[in-house]
Amino acid sequence: MADALYPFECRQAKLTYAGKFLVDIYFQYADGAPIREKFNFGQFPVMLKSKLCHLKAADDPKKLVLYKEDPSEMGGYFILNGLERVIRLLILPKRNYPMSMVRNSFRDKREGYTDKAVAIRCVRQDQSAVTIKLYYLNNGSARLGFWIQGREYLLPVGIILKVRDPVGTQLIGERAKIILDELHNLSLFTHAQCLQHIGEHFRPAMAGLENESYSTVAEAVLRDYIFVHLDNNHDKFNLLIFMLQKLFSLIDQTSMPDNPDSLQNQEVLLPGHLITIYLKEKLQEWLLKVKRLLQDETDNRTKKFELSSLADVKKVIDKNSPRHISAAVENLLKTGRLVTQSGLDLQQRAGMTVQADRLNFLRFISHFRAVHRGASFAGLRTTSVRKLLPESWGFLCPVHTPDGEPCGLLNHMTSSCRITSNYDSKGNVRDFLKVRMSILNILVDMGMTPSLPKLVQAGPPKVLSVILDGRVVGSIPSDIVGKAVSHLRRLKVAATSVIPEDLEVGHIPLSMGGAYPGLYLFTSASRFVRPVCNISIPPEENNKIELIGPFEQVYMEISCPDGGDGGRKNVFPATHEEIHPTGILSVVANLTPWSDHNQSPRNMYQCQMGKQTMGFSSQAINCRADQKLYHLQTPQTPIVRTKAYEKYNIDDYPLGTNAIVAVLAYSGYDMEDAMVLNKSSVDRGLCHGYIYQTETIDLAEQGIKSDRSQRTFGRSNLDKSSHQFIDIDGLPYVGQRINPNDPYYSIYDEHVQKANIRLRRTRNPIIGDKFSSRHGQKGVCSQLWADVDMPFSGVTGMRPDLIINPHAFPSRMTIAMLLESIAAKGGALHGNFVDATPFSSSIKKNTGGSESESSSLVDELGSLLIARGFNYHGVEVLYSGVYGTELTCEIFIGPVYYQRLRHMVSDKFQVRSTGTVDQVTRQPIKGRKRGGGIRFGEMERDSLLAHGAAYLLHDRLHTSSDHHISDICSLCGSILTTSIIKSQKRAVRDMVGDLPPGRVPKKVTCVACQSSKGIETVAMPYVFRYLAVELAAMNIKMTLQLSNGSGART
Amino acid sequence: MEGVSYQRFPKIKIREVRDDYMKFELRETDASIANALRRVMIAEVPTIAIDLVEIEVNSSVLNDEFIAHRLGLVPLTSERAMGMRFSRDCDACDGDGQCEYCSVEFHLRAKCINDQTLDVTSKDLYSSDHTVVPVDFSDSSSSFENSENKGIIIVKLRRGQELILRAIARKGIGKDHAKWSPAATVTFMYEPEIYINEELMESLTLEEKREFVESSPTPVFKLDENTYQVEINDAEAYTYDEEVIKKAESMGKPGLVEIRAKEDSFIFTVESTGAVKASQLFLNAIDVLKQKLDAVRLSADTVEADEQFGELGAHMRGG
Repeated sequence: MADALYPFECRQAKLTYAGKFLVDIYFQYADGAPIREKFNFGQFPVMLKSKLCHLKAADDPKKLVLYKEDPSEMGGYFILNGLERVIRLLILPKRNYPMSMVRNSFRDKREGYTDKAVAIRCVRQDQSAVTIKLYYLNNGSARLGFWIQGREYLLPVGIILKVRDPVGTQLIGERAKIILDELHNLSLFTHAQCLQHIGEHFRPAMAGLENESYSTVAEAVLRDYIFVHLDNNHDKFNLLIFMLQKLFSLIDQTSMPDNPDSLQNQEVLLPGHLITIYLKEKLQEWLLKVKRLLQDETDNRTKKFELSSLADVKKVIDKNSPRHISAAVENLLKTGRLVTQSGLDLQQRAGMTVQADRLNFLRFISHFRAVHRGASFAGLRTTSVRKLLPESWGFLCPVHTPDGEPCGLLNHMTSSCRITSNYDSKGNVRDFLKVRMSILNILVDMGMTPSLPKLVQAGPPKVLSVILDGRVVGSIPSDIVGKAVSHLRRLKVAATSVIPEDLEVGHIPLSMGGAYPGLYLFTSASRFVRPVCNISIPPEENNKIELIGPFEQVYMEISCPDGGDGGRKNVFPATHEEIHPTGILSVVANLTPWSDHNQSPRNMYQCQMGKQTMGFSSQAINCRADQKLYHLQTPQTPIVRTKAYEKYNIDDYPLGTNAIVAVLAYSGYDMEDAMVLNKSSVDRGLCHGYIYQTETIDLAEQGIKSDRSQRTFGRSNLDKSSHQFIDIDGLPYVGQRINPNDPYYSIYDEHVQKANIRLRRTRNPIIGDKFSSRHGQKGVCSQLWADVDMPFSGVTGMRPDLIINPHAFPSRMTIAMLLESIAAKGGALHGNFVDATPFSSSIKKNTGGSESESSSLVDELGSLLIARGFNYHGVEVLYSGVYGTELTCEIFIGPVYYQRLRHMVSDKFQVRSTGTVDQVTRQPIKGRKRGGGIRFGEMERDSLLAHGAAYLLHDRLHTSSDHHISDICSLCGSILTTSIIKSQKRAVRDMVGDLPPGRVPKKVTCVACQSSKGIETVAMPYVFRYLAVELAAMNIKMTLQLSNGSGART
Repeated sequence: MEGVSYQRFPKIKIREVRDDYMKFELRETDASIANALRRVMIAEVPTIAIDLVEIEVNSSVLNDEFIAHRLGLVPLTSERAMGMRFSRDCDACDGDGQCEYCSVEFHLRAKCINDQTLDVTSKDLYSSDHTVVPVDFSDSSSSFENSENKGIIIVKLRRGQELILRAIARKGIGKDHAKWSPAATVTFMYEPEIYINEELMESLTLEEKREFVESSPTPVFKLDENTYQVEINDAEAYTYDEEVIKKAESMGKPGLVEIRAKEDSFIFTVESTGAVKASQLFLNAIDVLKQKLDAVRLSADTVEADEQFGELGAHMRGG
């Protein structure tokens, strides 16, 4: 491992953290022994802290520090060209669960289709998926629809039924006749005929099977596209029957359609799964191509090529550039774009990855907890997908979603939510087959009738179908389901059983017109799960924490300490209990103190602002080369904090300062969410910060561009002028202060090199910088107010660090901020931290029970202040700093944790006097970066008009914009036909001698009129001339009629 | 109103003086004077603080600006400050801080050579002037010997890390930067006058009396355990929070106590950073205030004052 490449090196050198991808390819000639050959498939990106990562071995913080990582590095992302990128978690329809749906678009498919269908997203063991839809037709039949290569194929169900079940079709009552009649109309009577029919239809669509027989093609279609999660034909048949039953029940309105936007019917796309299916497809493509190439080579008689010679075959394989496969995966991670023909059964092909920027810790971890609904929903005009549904309770945070365009689409998992994977809690790979078998055995023991030995299945009222991971395993009498479910749950929790702890036991009970009943069991990966307390388990068993999923949660009775009986009275006693009410909040939302006392949108704003805060972005800041890093010089730990704050060790990445905040209208500079900062506090270091900017100069890249190779950093010994800035190595002195326009590196021709130059910009608070408390109360610094002018307390002499306006509170109702102020004051006086976990009052009520708990939170906090001789309500008498007189009312003052947001005026100001203009219009360009101006737009024009400021208007819109003087021929009225005649007298003028050559008036003539009689000069905006030119290009002539001022009337 | 003089002769009674703390009464004057003194003490009494740092070697974990900022905030003994020149007014050195009239040079040289972290403190700053040194906070009054007094920590060094710098301290005032402020806290309060309406008070039950006494978060009143009389315990503990008055009203006894602020007497608390002794700070403040008034008077006498102050100038000349 001497030459191992570590992640920090990749970050600094802007490399990709990747490992060699070796593939074994087996060759087998006839029945000979297989030959195994290793091929290099290029450099495959490695996820940090994954099995193959160098950091996997570094299990304790000290070792991580040795590798120049953060001590709490968690991995889970990739490094590509030095950038950290995460694969986004995407919401997908729940796998292997038939979902009934109603959509108007189904009607437009073809004539005779209704809007109803049952769809199932089938997922193989290797995570590749195929979605099948079963459409209902007006005539009572149904069609099976699936996609091959971007085209939907629709097959009558009868064919599939017949193919699957050669014996003959029973059940489905009168509807069976309709379905079978259809087959008769197609004159398909036998199993073989159906196979033939399918084969005929699909042979052109199946790549690589063009030359196979119809029956082989048909088998391939059935294998690769229909119910791919099942291998057994009986299972496929049973599932199809089940889907038909569900479809007919939907038609008969005995069951409701499932909501595809509800979390109940959703799962998540995991990074590993995405890469797996992408890699699988790429390998398939590659193999097909190899096959084609080998075919070409053997067909091509002219060349000497022996299929039997391994060397020749290997040559062909190497020609097919196997390294492209790794490159494709790397490209997926770099750009987030899937380059695929099949689409991988995903809704979107772009935006699969995002950069995990380390602005601060909250932003960084949010990337790993964020779940996106899918890019295709962003454009939707309906808002139904964005709704917060009760099904997502406990899994997705109701607070932590951005406002604005991605609102409700980009959600965040709650702090307690987890995703199941192919690994169990001990880190071993799960044997799903074994797990399923044992579940089956238990179910049979409980009284389930297995479905394999064929039996006539009765309908739902008496027995319920049992579906395990999309396979109809049997039916269970309705009256014993409840018992079976609770037994399974007991086994789930028990440590010794083989039943996985995250088994989802979705029992949809019989109901009139509810969801289609059944017992649905899921063991698969990528489901949401969260822990709750199972209170039906006898107390002697020590583990009571059960993992539940969103599918089963809907039908469970879970009591929440804050929710009483939830309106269920005693009829439905709770079987489960929430561990803590804060479990419904995300990590970031959990950090807002007393968020249960705030108006909910304020908590949402805080979740956004917490992620824009300057703080400690990383502990290994010196080993990183991020383009921009924000850093707070002296952050503090908040006095008032939630339990989550300690749990997640936010103290390792603090994000703010405890500032003494006075709430009063003082100086007038605190209006409209502005805030006045105490200048002396700022002098002493309040909210001081830095921006670390890294500039990477890659001479190799520059050399390619400028066709000059072999350049290196260096310093010229001849030109000593730059020596005060640049060291002998061509780079700046370490710690050198660089002012604008100073040089900071120089180049010398020789070798090739790359350098990161890190610049530190001090960013101390100035007027216009943005700050916010933890309650969505943001404000802009409007003044740095002299300390002596600040109001002061007569008792302690304290002056506030910061003044905000009382108007910030009534309409926003951020009571928690007031509580925080009181609590922090009490905490500071007593030298304690104050716990501000939301909903803790409801927990206390439940456990305490005695009436002494009647005291409210305010009483608790107020008494802390009283004990130290302060006012109960947190107010103090202040004196005017200017006059020394008592302010007429008592002022609410206390420490509040303030965050400095990254939006700073220094990055935003835009000024321009003169500068670059647009090439075409000669008007000033836009854009801050390019030195453009701010548009003086229509509304601004209107206001000047209204003021009658005509000269100003003329100045802004003409003189200071695209003022232009043009020659116009008044005879023909054209501005385009005039041209300047070069004066011939130049030589003569020179001979005049001493006299300075006087300005000869330019001679202008009209090319069209062949005269210069009617030439006039007119001032106009240059765009006008451009308009004339554009019109001329369209064969439209623009004629101007000139008149002097008085003649304007004519 | 011609000839009427508003001149008053304020009196000062010092209650407590320590090096860095002083409490005194200021009587027979008004809030404007009291506040002017407070403001001058905080923002305009000059001290000396490090203003320019040239860093030669810095391999510590803190960056140059951070260290420079921390050095600036170290209080330096500034008895000399009143007599020094502002470097911007210094003719001897063009204000580049090289001469003894306006600046003091400091050197710091520290390197950690063993495995123990080395604390670089204000004690490691070597001054070119023995009168201007970092303030020593070792509490001489404390009886037990505290040998481990290290001063103010500037930065901690690990093995191999080094810090070498040259710093120039200059005279300045707190208005320009808080590091030049000699005062940690200066505050004053109006002296309260408390009248207990004994008649009404007697109408209270013992329980009510106790409640009344306890209604104030600060111990303003006390209940005599023998006579069960409500007495004034410490009038100055009153914070003007009107808690007791509200309490009296809620008990249905408005006017039970009457508390008024004496408009002309103040109780000052001065806490110094250590740069100047608290008592000296107050004297310096008076000097500075006088100088300021002199400046006004000087300009008020000249004709330019009319241009500068307009009508106000005429007023000041007694017009």
